[in-house]
Amino acid sequence: MALELKDIHELVQLVEKAEVAEFHMEHEGTKITIKKAVGEVAVQPVAPVVQLPPPTAQNSTVTTQSPAPTQETKEVEDAGLHKIESPMVGTFYRSPSPDADPYVQEGNTVSVDSVVCIVEAMKLMNEIEAEVNGTIEKILVKNGELVEFGQPLFLVRTT
Amino acid sequence: MSKHLRNQLLRLLLEQQSPYISGEEISKQLGCSRAAIWKHVQELRNQGYEIEARSRNGYRLISKPDRIAPEEINFYLQTEVLGKEIRYYPAITSTQESAHQWALAGAKEGSLVIADQQTTGRGRLGTSWVSPAGTGIWMSLILRPNALLKFASHFTLLAAVSVFEAIQSLSSYPIHIKWPNDLLINKKKVCGILTELKGEQDRVDYMVIGIGLNVKQNDQLPSHATSLEEAAGKQYIRAQVIAQILQRIELCYMEYVKEGFAPIRKRWEAGAQSFFGREVQAKTWNGVIKGIAEGLNDDGALIIRSEGEKRIIYSADIQMT
Repeated sequence: MALELKDIHELVQLVEKAEVAEFHMEHEGTKITIKKAVGEVAVQPVAPVVQLPPPTAQNSTVTTQSPAPTQETKEVEDAGLHKIESPMVGTFYRSPSPDADPYVQEGNTVSVDSVVCIVEAMKLMNEIEAEVNGTIEKILVKNGELVEFGQPLFLVRTT
Repeated sequence: MSKHLRNQLLRLLLEQQSPYISGEEISKQLGCSRAAIWKHVQELRNQGYEIEARSRNGYRLISKPDRIAPEEINFYLQTEVLGKEIRYYPAITSTQESAHQWALAGAKEGSLVIADQQTTGRGRLGTSWVSPAGTGIWMSLILRPNALLKFASHFTLLAAVSVFEAIQSLSSYPIHIKWPNDLLINKKKVCGILTELKGEQDRVDYMVIGIGLNVKQNDQLPSHATSLEEAAGKQYIRAQVIAQILQRIELCYMEYVKEGFAPIRKRWEAGAQSFFGREVQAKTWNGVIKGIAEGLNDDGALIIRSEGEKRIIYSADIQMT
């Protein structure tokens, strides 16, 4: 079954709602890459060329559809895990300098005001605090990676 | 007579219009005895002020040291909000650290920490900033903008524009902005700006804008750095430069609140003209990106065209090749 325009449109919407920065798939020789970038969504079918959904609708929805922190907190509390999200676009650092120890490791206990990472943009250093008491269950981003607004950085098992 | 009165005496001497101001006039204006004035003239002399005293005419300020204590800055300061409260230290570890502590203890918007010397001045990601005594402006400004965190990076470009325009207003030599907020003279760094912030949910609680500006040439400056005085071949009064910087930041800040990032961005681009269209290397944590510097995006991030691809840079050390 070949992919249709509406399938791709659905995919774009799914990816947009999902907490991922990038999505790849291959289906019967059609490769699709969907990247969430700053203020834009790029849909890049590699081959064969498929009609693109109009990009304007996506542009405006990327940031606005990012779930508000409060809703997010509520959702994950149900699952027992709290997501620490990036409050801005920038570079994720696990330590204050390249040769320093990371702020936290998986399994570490954190409290509300524990610094867990830095997000940097344009030489603005934002120390992100855990904002909950708990244990770092999973670190979701690699050192030095670009993170999006609202992107989950850590999963914390709250206590 | 308190320190406050000594500062008033200094102000009278700084502002004197006629060649001399009489002891009688000073004692009338400050409401103190002429003996007390004499005592404080001696203390000002001990601080490096050269004050002539003539029994018939009164007092005259001949020269003053390049001090950056609050009373000196206040003499030049014309702001409404910024620099209204100043904590001055002859020597401190880092003005950034001190400003954070003050902000956490409730410092008001516009509060300023300044030091004549920093023993462990810091730059981005653990790098150090050389801050020998008496040679530069090492200061940290506390702002509390009612801004979303996702727009906070605009302030680092705003700070660059402000310092750029402040130096321009006092000098005539070419100065350039290098993304995101270094200032260069003759391709050498003269000013670095490091901004750190504390958020509260998705908003700014406070931000500390750290500005390091090399004013006097000194042998501790790294080879890739320069100073205002080397570029200008003249001397600067640091207190005046500080007041001018605060004034420009305040104006840019008010403009930003009213009109958003667009006008700041335009002026940033004007200051960075020599930067765009050039081949640059962006050293990021995860490798080097080479390409042509094309422009800014709406966040203030750098757009580099690299091998036909548009790369958006949020964090990097930029080298012009």
